[in-house]
Amino acid sequence: MSDSQLVDWRNHALNLESEVNKVVVGQHTPIRLITTSIFARGHVLLEGDVGVGKTTLLRAFTRGIGGGYQRIEGTIDLMPNDLVYHTYLGEDGKPHVSPGPLLMSGENLSVFFFNEINRARPQVHSLLLRVMAERSLSAFNAEHYFPHMIVFADRNQVEKEETFEIPSAARDRFMMEIPIVVPNDDDIMQALVFDTKFHNVDALVETVKPDILQFDELNAFSSIIQNNIEASDTLKKYALNLWKATKNPLDYGVKVSGVDMNRLVLAGASPRGMSMMLRAARVNAWLNGRAAVLPDDIHAVFHSTVAHRLVFSPVYEMRRTEIAREMLTGIINAVAAP
Amino acid sequence: MKNILQSLILTLSFSLVAPYCLAIDSQTLPDVKPGIVSMTTKDPDKRVGYSMGDIVEREVVLTIQAPYKLIETSLPIVGYEKRYRGKLIGVNLQAIEHTKQAQKDYTTHKIKLSYQIFVSTVVAKNIALGPEYIHLINTQNKKDIVKYRIPILNVSTSPLAIFGQVKVENNMSPFLPPPLLSAEKEYRWLKVASGIFVLSLLALIYILGQRAWLPRMGGRFATTFSAIKKLPDNDDGIKQAISKSHLAFNQTAGFAIFNDNLNDFLRQHPNFMPLKTEIEQFFGLSRQVYFEPGATHGVGNATMPWLLNFVRRCRDCERGLLPSPLKAKV
Repeated sequence: MSDSQLVDWRNHALNLESEVNKVVVGQHTPIRLITTSIFARGHVLLEGDVGVGKTTLLRAFTRGIGGGYQRIEGTIDLMPNDLVYHTYLGEDGKPHVSPGPLLMSGENLSVFFFNEINRARPQVHSLLLRVMAERSLSAFNAEHYFPHMIVFADRNQVEKEETFEIPSAARDRFMMEIPIVVPNDDDIMQALVFDTKFHNVDALVETVKPDILQFDELNAFSSIIQNNIEASDTLKKYALNLWKATKNPLDYGVKVSGVDMNRLVLAGASPRGMSMMLRAARVNAWLNGRAAVLPDDIHAVFHSTVAHRLVFSPVYEMRRTEIAREMLTGIINAVAAP
Repeated sequence: MKNILQSLILTLSFSLVAPYCLAIDSQTLPDVKPGIVSMTTKDPDKRVGYSMGDIVEREVVLTIQAPYKLIETSLPIVGYEKRYRGKLIGVNLQAIEHTKQAQKDYTTHKIKLSYQIFVSTVVAKNIALGPEYIHLINTQNKKDIVKYRIPILNVSTSPLAIFGQVKVENNMSPFLPPPLLSAEKEYRWLKVASGIFVLSLLALIYILGQRAWLPRMGGRFATTFSAIKKLPDNDDGIKQAISKSHLAFNQTAGFAIFNDNLNDFLRQHPNFMPLKTEIEQFFGLSRQVYFEPGATHGVGNATMPWLLNFVRRCRDCERGLLPSPLKAKV
């Protein structure tokens, strides 16, 4: 693929971002990160309160990239088979089976949104994680493939009742964890409340230009990005140092206030996590019109690709978000390149 | 004629007896009660070696509590020759100065006595100055008259000349230490030298601690400038120079500086603000050398001289100076 095609795709990506930014206001950083994950082909865990626009955001992206969009709500009685099929009695009085959300769009499924994933049981997590990892599913004596699927899962960190915390191994399957917060800007807040165009979500999403990208070409193009954006030896060394620092932050002089750093980290970022971080950094470099990854590209995705992979001592789990943010900021400040 | 002779004898007898009458009076008076009078004396440092004509001055400060009051006529009389057991001892009260300061509850008397020596001896001899007796009267009871004794002051006289062979050791006074040479000048120099030594020590500690001769010298960029000057002007040298400059920036900031937090650094260190454009160019150069060979930076082809100039100007900023103008050659 020539450089001009890279530029063309970049323009399409920026166009998609621009379209989504019109619909979901005040969320530039999450939108950039979601764009990055789409081109890096990584699944995303969204973190945020209810009613902040997560569903609207995903529907807008799905409309822009094309393909099928499916959604399921996590509940305590949800079973794995509910993702695959559901049964009902038809008008003829006989039992019928119809495809569940995972199978409904077939291979064209591009976005699968699992709302409140931590309300579902571990059995459901298990199935979803397999689908995420292998992008395939065995059902009805056949193997079903979802080569273009990206899973977006949402969890509410505040509510803990009747929830099943996603284990660290499962969190590691997600490329990013992106916080979605209500914008602080008064004008945006006022618009969200009083501007009538935000009241009808369906009509709002319809305003996004459809099929800006071709969802079934994203896998191939993602490989092209990864192969074309360079990472120098210095950058590799820098990424390696960052990785080491996530395992032993004290070795790099990183401290978090009110935390015993000797006891904090049980496990740093995984090799898969660091590989995903570099994939995302390459996409970020491409989105910024660069031919090589800079430390700045790693910084842009460092928190969202690494924070949810860190395994802390149970005593610090309740403060995970705050501690992870402070620790990772400390690591970026402590590790130099070159 | 007989009358004249009688009055002459009477006058002579009276003049001979009068001093004894006074002395008898002092001796017969009761002593003042403790606590009424407090006294301090300022005696001469020299207690020995007096000879004919020398004056010994002594200052006595008396504080007399009310209602007692000093009868000033009882103060020693100028010209009075001191006696011991009726014999003159060769000491004469040459002068007396008396001042007083009255307060509500007490009166302070400052009495300065000047004795003159009128004796010449062939060997060293002790002389007692005093005692002096003064009288106090109770202002609330005029019949209550008491005496107070100012203690004696012992001094010794020396002969003007020594006759015959004298063993000095036998005649050494325990009161007089060997005379010392004045070392005041040497002490002054010692103080000056000690001051210089302490200041030098402080300067040495400062220099060793700061690794700089003067404040703001020897900073990160100064060290980096010295180090870069020694590097060769080739790719490897440029890489090292950039790396060292990055280290200087990071150490100055206290955190690793990249493009995305450069503005934070400039906010925290506004003295580097005049070099904002050049710092951005430097980061562009670093990007090209370390990360993206195709990147542009605007530094030009003479990279090493530019780096030297840049670090020198950073050093100026570090010292709180306006950066010196760009030079063609470093």
